[in-house]
Amino acid sequence: MSSIPWQYLSPRTYRQAVEAKAERWAHKRQGSDRPVTELNSRRVYILPTAIGLVFALMAFTMLLGSMNYNNNLSFVLTFLLTGLGFVSMHQCQRNLVGLELSFAGVDPVFAGQAAEFQIAITNHSKARRSHLQLYAGDVNSNIGDLAPGESRIFHLEIPTEKRGHVRLDRFGIRTLFPFELFRAWAWLHMDLQGIVYPKPARQAPEPPPSQSAHGHRQHDARGEEDFAGLRKFHVGDSPRHVAWKAYARSGELLSKQFSGADTSSQWFDFDEVDIADVEQRLSILTRWIIDADRTHRDYGLRLPGQEFPPAHGEAHRCKALVSLAFFNELPVDVQDRAA
Amino acid sequence: MSKRSGTDGSLLASLPWTLAALAFSVVPHIQFLPIWATFAFLSCSAWRWQVERKRWRLPPAWFRIFLSLIFFIGVMASYDSISGVGPGSALLAVMAALKLLETKQRRDQFVLLFISIFLIMSSLLREQYLWSLPYLLAGVVLTMTAWLRMSTSSQVSVAESVKTAVRLIAYAAPLTAAMWIFFPRIATPFWAVPIDTSSASSGLSERMSPGDISSLSLSNAVAFRVKFEGAAPPPYQRYWRALVLHRFNGRTWSGDNEASPGSGAHRDIDFLGDPLRYQVTMEATQQHWIFALDIPYEWDLDRTFMGRQQQLARIQPIDQRIAYSVVSHPSFRLNSELSAFSRSYYTRLPENSNLRTLELSRKMRDEAPDDEAFITNVLEKFTNEKYFYTLEPPALGSNPVDRFLFDTRRGFCEHYASAFAVMMRAVGIPSRVVLGYQGGEMNPMGAYMIVRQADAHAWTEAWLPGRGWYRIDPTAAVAPERIESGRSGAMFDGIAASWGLSAPSEFLYQLTLTWDVLNARWNDWILGYGPENQGEFMEWLGMEDPDWRQMMLTLIAIVTVLVAIISVLLLLRYRPPPKDAAAILYRKFTEKAGVPPSRGETPLSYADRLAEEKAALAGDAESITTQYLDARYGPPDLVVIENLKEAVYNFSRRR
Repeated sequence: MSSIPWQYLSPRTYRQAVEAKAERWAHKRQGSDRPVTELNSRRVYILPTAIGLVFALMAFTMLLGSMNYNNNLSFVLTFLLTGLGFVSMHQCQRNLVGLELSFAGVDPVFAGQAAEFQIAITNHSKARRSHLQLYAGDVNSNIGDLAPGESRIFHLEIPTEKRGHVRLDRFGIRTLFPFELFRAWAWLHMDLQGIVYPKPARQAPEPPPSQSAHGHRQHDARGEEDFAGLRKFHVGDSPRHVAWKAYARSGELLSKQFSGADTSSQWFDFDEVDIADVEQRLSILTRWIIDADRTHRDYGLRLPGQEFPPAHGEAHRCKALVSLAFFNELPVDVQDRAA
Repeated sequence: MSKRSGTDGSLLASLPWTLAALAFSVVPHIQFLPIWATFAFLSCSAWRWQVERKRWRLPPAWFRIFLSLIFFIGVMASYDSISGVGPGSALLAVMAALKLLETKQRRDQFVLLFISIFLIMSSLLREQYLWSLPYLLAGVVLTMTAWLRMSTSSQVSVAESVKTAVRLIAYAAPLTAAMWIFFPRIATPFWAVPIDTSSASSGLSERMSPGDISSLSLSNAVAFRVKFEGAAPPPYQRYWRALVLHRFNGRTWSGDNEASPGSGAHRDIDFLGDPLRYQVTMEATQQHWIFALDIPYEWDLDRTFMGRQQQLARIQPIDQRIAYSVVSHPSFRLNSELSAFSRSYYTRLPENSNLRTLELSRKMRDEAPDDEAFITNVLEKFTNEKYFYTLEPPALGSNPVDRFLFDTRRGFCEHYASAFAVMMRAVGIPSRVVLGYQGGEMNPMGAYMIVRQADAHAWTEAWLPGRGWYRIDPTAAVAPERIESGRSGAMFDGIAASWGLSAPSEFLYQLTLTWDVLNARWNDWILGYGPENQGEFMEWLGMEDPDWRQMMLTLIAIVTVLVAIISVLLLLRYRPPPKDAAAILYRKFTEKAGVPPSRGETPLSYADRLAEEKAALAGDAESITTQYLDARYGPPDLVVIENLKEAVYNFSRRR
């Protein structure tokens, strides 16, 4: 009986439906936000928590008891707790109002890793803000307090699956302060996005061999003709290049550099990767780039309609990976058919 | 985490506060709890704390179930019931102990704090002293601090948490006061309140067996307080009637003192002389008797009736402090006619008991010319012969009246009243014993009278043709100072003795009286704030004949206003400081100039750039920039800001 829509029996389904509706309504009401947004009281929402409801039930029970025993001191206790309920509602909401949230960046990640969106929260007021937390869907940030005047970065780790953009259309900030009787929250629609590089292939074929500047094949990835000097050992350097004599003298690991490297370069060509699936090809290219970058070799990238001449360094790596991330925005199956 | 591993120590920061809050709310219960329950609570708390500190494991589920069964049976065995304040608070205490043993997460502590609040509440249901209010407040501060410690991050200092809790409670205080004043009080309970007899304290009991108790403990506890309209009656008229005992079985006097409507006793009284009007505030006795001066004429307490022997009783027991007004007539004539049946009833004595007394009585009656002379002779016998008034008389045997009259000759009011009543009956004079309070001490500071449990007294009433029932207090013949002084002196000596003082000092006496005034005010204004007081207060506020709807509406209105005020106070507290006025004006200037300043550009270099790009603005740019720097970085001066405002305004005009 797979046709029974079991999910309609779960309260979770309805909660999610109501939440989605509320979020759409809030977006329509508030509009999109700038990257720096101060929370005003009109956009801070509040509802009692489960503990708040139990607290209310307790206060009601105590009221009945006080009335029955006609006990004026337990009336005092009951009303004090009721009053605390009212106060904590307002306190909870005010704990968010006036905070300034600003987007503080997100570093590119490889698909499958979590993109860490950084949101700075600034407390301009003279009162401490307690128990703040960012959230987006099921993702929660760390919980933190803000002293008067303090600004702190909260991290939202959004999981990624596919290369391209990771978007954070909406995130929320919430607080349970002071007694967890109420939850106050605000939704922000900053339309944030980060870059997701393709997932590096775990097992990639050997990269195409290096070529000299004149197009001749070289017998090794790095020239070994002319010794050019020593530099600090990096992980990935060939053990054959380690200056063992120097190591014996100074105890410092150094790698020999050869001037022939200047003229060598590798070309990573999309069309030459011998795999049918585009995403896998991109993964393999990503793996090659990472490896090449790690060993400080020059490499160039050739994509259909795009070419990055051989070079090295952070900026080059970034450019190459970004172009892979956004390679061919068309869906994969359409592109396959075109090919 | 595997099952074998212990606690992770995550509750180290919040658990001590939760334990402290719980312990604080258990303290007032300790004297009422069975010892094992206190012990269970304390050992479970200590255990739980060690578990957290040493990263031990919590006890397994079967053990906790076993323990909860034992605790539940223990409560049942200690109280024979599970409803009522006593067993209720015992249950709460053991529940807290059990919950502690399964508290794993932060959230479990919520349950503990809820229990803590209920424990405070049940201690208030039990006793409401003057210090109960500060105790309540301290308990709430502690519980709410524990709550905060639990629900906020651990980086917050303890002082900060306490401050936050106190601040929030201070905000809630006016709300509490408003709700407390305006919440409509109802006169009748929803459901029957189980009577907690363990806390009943009264100097009176329903039976009187002189000789059974060999010492009378004098309690200084207040039985009731009286406020007279006009002067208080002289001490010899301060006889507060409560019970009448008219059956004697040779040892024990008993009576019928249940409240029953329509006994018609009222019709048998001729009220003479001027009435006394007064108000009684009576402590809870868990009994039905209502105290009034001989003889009450009118009273305003619901479901209270006069019994056959002119005693007042209420249908439901006095389970809380109550106040009522009474009109009494100190001069009266009671039952000037007595039926033959009644006569024989009130002269009934058990056969073959106290024979020596009967013999003596008949002999004395024969020697006296009439009944009245006989009565006088009996009283004189107590005065002239060696009879002593003592609170610690020897125990009496099977014929207690004989033993007392002929052998021990020592006793307190009950012994004399009993002996006297028996002697009357022996010669056919109808008699009965009245229990109540005699005396009362005026508190000069509060202009009211305090009657203490130590003033409990027994006297007799005898019936003579033409005079009706009239009061004879044989104790007065033995110890006239007991009646005349109006002050039992017991309270006084008791306190002085407990302080190790031999002679009572006047200062202590004053102190005690002042304390009593405070307590009386507390009782009248806070604890006694019921339907009547509330109605009066509402009328004083200008509400005519307020009903509960009106009060609820007022309550809602006031609470709404107060909550709005609190909201504004919080807004002021959490509002970011106003934005720099000079900076705002400067930004307006750059907007109007049409050249956006680049990032990190100083105002001076911006002015230079502006002068290059738009030569016409050079002069204005320079003067506005100078004024802005002055307003922003110079000493605060409103005039400078005003000038800048004007300059920026004019700048736009001229462009």
